[in-house]
Amino acid sequence: MDAVGYVWAGVLAVFQGPALFDIFGISISITLVMVFCGLLTGIVVGATPGLAGPMAMAISLPILISVFGYHESALLPVLGFLIGVMKGATVGGAVPAILFNTPGTPDAYLTTFDGYPMTQKGQSGKALRVAHFSSVSGDTVSDLILFTCAPFLAILVEAYLDFPEKAALIILSLSFIAAVVGKSVAKGLLAMALGMLAAYIGTGEDFYPRLTGGTEVLSSGFSMTAVILGVLIIGEVFKSMEDLRLTHGSSKVKAINPHDDNRLHWAEIRKLLPYIRNSALIGTLIGALPGIGTTLAATLGYATGKKLYERRKSDEDPAFGEGVPQGVAATEAANSAVSGANLIPVLSLGIPGNAAAVFLILAADSIGGFNPGPSVFNFSTDGVNPELVVAFGLFTMMVFANFLNWTVGGVFMRSMGIMGLLMLARAVIVVATEGRIIDTGFLGHIDHPNFFEAVAVTLGWGPFWPPF
Amino acid sequence: MPKPKLNTDFTIGLVGLMAGSLILFVWIPLDVDTGLIEKVRSQVVIGDAMAPSLAASILIIGSLLMILQSFRNREETDLSRHSLKFLVMLLVLLGLSMAVMRWAGPFSAHLFNADYRSLRDTVPWKYIGYFLGGIIIVFSLISMMEHRMRWRTLIISILVVVVLIIIYDLPFENLQLPPNGDV
Repeated sequence: MDAVGYVWAGVLAVFQGPALFDIFGISISITLVMVFCGLLTGIVVGATPGLAGPMAMAISLPILISVFGYHESALLPVLGFLIGVMKGATVGGAVPAILFNTPGTPDAYLTTFDGYPMTQKGQSGKALRVAHFSSVSGDTVSDLILFTCAPFLAILVEAYLDFPEKAALIILSLSFIAAVVGKSVAKGLLAMALGMLAAYIGTGEDFYPRLTGGTEVLSSGFSMTAVILGVLIIGEVFKSMEDLRLTHGSSKVKAINPHDDNRLHWAEIRKLLPYIRNSALIGTLIGALPGIGTTLAATLGYATGKKLYERRKSDEDPAFGEGVPQGVAATEAANSAVSGANLIPVLSLGIPGNAAAVFLILAADSIGGFNPGPSVFNFSTDGVNPELVVAFGLFTMMVFANFLNWTVGGVFMRSMGIMGLLMLARAVIVVATEGRIIDTGFLGHIDHPNFFEAVAVTLGWGPFWPPF
Repeated sequence: MPKPKLNTDFTIGLVGLMAGSLILFVWIPLDVDTGLIEKVRSQVVIGDAMAPSLAASILIIGSLLMILQSFRNREETDLSRHSLKFLVMLLVLLGLSMAVMRWAGPFSAHLFNADYRSLRDTVPWKYIGYFLGGIIIVFSLISMMEHRMRWRTLIISILVVVVLIIIYDLPFENLQLPPNGDV
C-alpha cells in the first residue's frame, strides 16, 4: 500500500467503521459518535471549575474499555472519545474564566485577565465568541503542523537515529522536564529521579527483578495506570480539596447580564488574526517540546500579544487587562495550540508531551494493537501496516473534532453560560468535587484485578503531584 | 554565617538526601544481583544496578541543590505544617473508608454465618462494602472541607454512591465492584 492509500484507509476506518445507526440510509460510524460525545463531554468538563480534561479521561477510560473490550476494533472509538474530550476541554476552559473570573482549566487562568473585565462591561457573549474563534483557530493550526511534521520526523528518527542517539534524546527530554517542572531546577531533578526510580523497580535484565525487597507485590513493578492516576489526578484532587477546605467549601460568583453588542464582526476578527497567528505558533512550538504544559504557552502568548498591542494601540484604547478581546485571543490561541502539537513527540519519539497525551498512550497500551512511537510510520508497501492506518485514523478524528468544534462547539460552549451555569456554579463545584473524590483516582482502577493494591499505589503517588 | 531557617526546601532536600543515600549505598547493593557493569564472555555490558544508581545519584544532586537553595532563599514557602496535617488527615480518612469497603461485606456475611466469597456476586452482598465505604469517603471529605457535618451532605453522599453503582455496575456483567475482586 502506498502513502496515499494509507491516508485513505485511515479516513475510511473512521467514517466506514462499525455503524451505530443510520440517518436517511447513511450509516453513522460509532467512532464519529464517540468523537462527538467526547467533545461535548470535554466542553462540559472544561467549563466546570475544578474538573479538567485529564480527569474526564481518567474516569471514562475504564468505562470505555469495559464497553468496547480489549480488541483492535476498540482503538478508534476509545481514542476518538479521548481526543474529543481533549479538544472540548481546551475550548470549555474559557467559559468560567470569562463569566465567573474562575479558570475552568489551569491554562485558562490568563483568560480571566481580559475575559472577566469584558463580562463586567456587558460583553460576555463577545468574549466567549473571541475565545472560541481563537481557541479553535490555534488548535487547527497546531493540528495541521502535527499532520505534516510528525510523519517526517518519525521517518527521520527511524532512519538516522540508533540506540545511542535515541538514548541521548531521552536524556534531553528528561533534562527539559527537570528544567521546566515546578519553580526550581532542583525540584525538577528530584521529580525526575523519583520517576526513574519508580520505573526501575521490578524490572531489569537479570533473572532476579531488581529492587523488590524479595516481595511479590513489587516483583512486577508499579502499575503504570496506578502511578499515572496518583501523580496526575489524585495529587490535583488533594490540592483542590485543600483549597476548598481553606475557603470552607464556598465559592462566590456574581451574575452579570450581557447588555452590549455581543456579536463578533469581520472587522474585529481581522484585528485578532495577528495575535492568533503569533500565539498559535508559540503554542505549537511549546507543545512540540516534551513535558512543558499549556500554562507556559498561554503566558508567552499573552506576553507577546501584550507587546504587539502596546505597539499598535492608540492612547484612548484600553490596556491589556482592562477587557481587551486581543488579550483573550492571545491566551486562548496559545493554550489550545498546545493540544495538537503535544502529539508530535508522542508519534515521532514515543514521549508524551502532556497529561492528555499520557492518557492516549495509556488507552493504546491497555487495548493493544497500537504502540505510539516512530515505528508507527513504517510505510510498508509489501503488506498493510495496521498501526499506520490507526495513526491516520487518529488524524482524521482530530480533523473531524475540529470541524465539530468550529460548528456546534461554539454554540454549545456559549450555551454553557446561558443554561444557568452562573446560578448553579456553586452547586456544581461542590458536587463535582465530591464526585471526583472517589471517582477519578479510585474508580480508574475499577477493572483492575487487585483494586486495593492499585489504590494504595495511586494514593502513595498522590503527594508527588508537581505543584503540591 | 547566619543560621539557616528550617524551611520547606531545606526539609525536602534533607529527606531527599537521606533517601538517595540510603537507596544508593544500602538498597541497591543489597537488592540488585548484578553490579554497575558486568563482564559476560569477555564483553563488558551494563549491569542492573547502573540505571537505579544513576537515578539515586540524581536524587542526591537534586537534594543538595535544594539545600543550597534554601540557604539563599530563606522565605517561608507554602508547604506549611497545615498542608502536612491536611495530607495526614486525608490519608487516614481514605485508609479508614478503604478498610470499611474491604471488610464490611465479609463481616456482615460472618454475622449471618455465611461465606462472603460465594455471595460476592449476589445482591445485596456485593454492594455492602462499596456502598458503606463510598459513603464514608464522600461524607467525611466534604465535611472536612466544609468544617461541619450536615444531613444534606449525607444525602448527597448516598446519591453519589448510588449513581456510581448505576454507572459502573449495572451495565457491565463482567465487572466487579470493589472489594469483590480482592476477596
